[in-house]
Amino acid sequence: MILPAKNSPKERDSALLAAIGAGDRRALEELYLSYHRRLARFLSRFTPRYENIEEIINDTFMVVWQNAKEFRNASQVSTWIIGIAYRTALKSFRRQKNHAVASLEDYPEQTVDPTSQTEVSDWLKHGLNRLPIEQRLTLELAYHMGHSLEEIATITDCPVGTVKARMFHAREKLRQYLPTLSGGPSDLPARIG
Amino acid sequence: MTSNRRTEIEHHEVSALIPWYVNETIGERDRQRVDAHINICVPCRDDLAVQRRLYETIEAQPALDYMPVASLKRLHARLDALQAEATSGPSPAGQPINNPTPWRGWMAASIAAMAVAVALLAADRWVQFESRQSRPNYWTVTNSVPRPPGEVIRAVFSPTITLVELQTILDEAQLRIVSGPTEAGVYSLASNATLPASASLALLRQHSTVRFAEGTSPEPDSGSSR
Repeated sequence: MILPAKNSPKERDSALLAAIGAGDRRALEELYLSYHRRLARFLSRFTPRYENIEEIINDTFMVVWQNAKEFRNASQVSTWIIGIAYRTALKSFRRQKNHAVASLEDYPEQTVDPTSQTEVSDWLKHGLNRLPIEQRLTLELAYHMGHSLEEIATITDCPVGTVKARMFHAREKLRQYLPTLSGGPSDLPARIG
Repeated sequence: MTSNRRTEIEHHEVSALIPWYVNETIGERDRQRVDAHINICVPCRDDLAVQRRLYETIEAQPALDYMPVASLKRLHARLDALQAEATSGPSPAGQPINNPTPWRGWMAASIAAMAVAVALLAADRWVQFESRQSRPNYWTVTNSVPRPPGEVIRAVFSPTITLVELQTILDEAQLRIVSGPTEAGVYSLASNATLPASASLALLRQHSTVRFAEGTSPEPDSGSSR
């Protein structure tokens, strides 16, 4: 399915989804290719294994294929797809019972100077990996994907207040854990409980 | 409600909006509210600086890109399996399938894929076996390859032999080249006259430039060589 170039991304996504609802596999392919990079980049922040990333993306698009007919434009297509990916990822991460353990193994106890500017990125990874998964996803949706508060509420299927609360707790824990972000080399990082 | 209480509520509400002020997705009205508050609230101003740094650090972290083509092929395979299942089962295509044991379909697909892989492997082994049987990956000058017409002798000459010397030796033995040289330098020679092959062979073997010579006809001395 080739759509006219004048269509905006939103219109294009809507047209593709309508075609998918009618059973058009080429439209699904187009939509898949246009979302794969964004989703893969987002998911690669949670798991280094591409097979996990692919499984989540493909599971997401299986749901898109099966439910395209039911889409009623209550939200943007992109928000709807990322919402499906969010729920799929959440299930996948919860299923991997060793997720937290793997995260700790990936980022063992640091021996570097936590006040060094060059280590901020490493400390950030370390801190992010210790956040509860819902808080981490909320923060990544805002800071990595650039979603608005309302979009995140739609994606996560939560009230706006819940999104704010998750973000608040994530910020607090990261701030506690990452003193270098505040520019002050005052304290050593504390454990996130 | 006291002024302090209102200020406290405003502080908490604005503080919660800071991440979306940072990623610039906040609405205009809320943006103005944050702008006004951070002018008077030092903790929120500090937090804004922290969140900006966090946002920039996350944005700056390198991201891996993956090629989607192979993943897309696997998605197509799943959709094919789903559609095949739908055509043979009660669930129509494109509808959600509430399969209580979805792993069964995948197990069947996995077994089918393994069967195909085993079959392909077996076929590959058979082709290799047949190939080895029919055409070895080595050969010798005594291999029973099809003979050129009229061939009675095979000979190998010194690599330094000149064309004139070769022609002289062949004339003397009343032989002519019918094929060769092969990769190993073997010439197939046919008789020019009624001279027996054994006599031609004996003449050839007199020359030091003849490294090897044997008859190809079943004569008593045909297996001997220089």
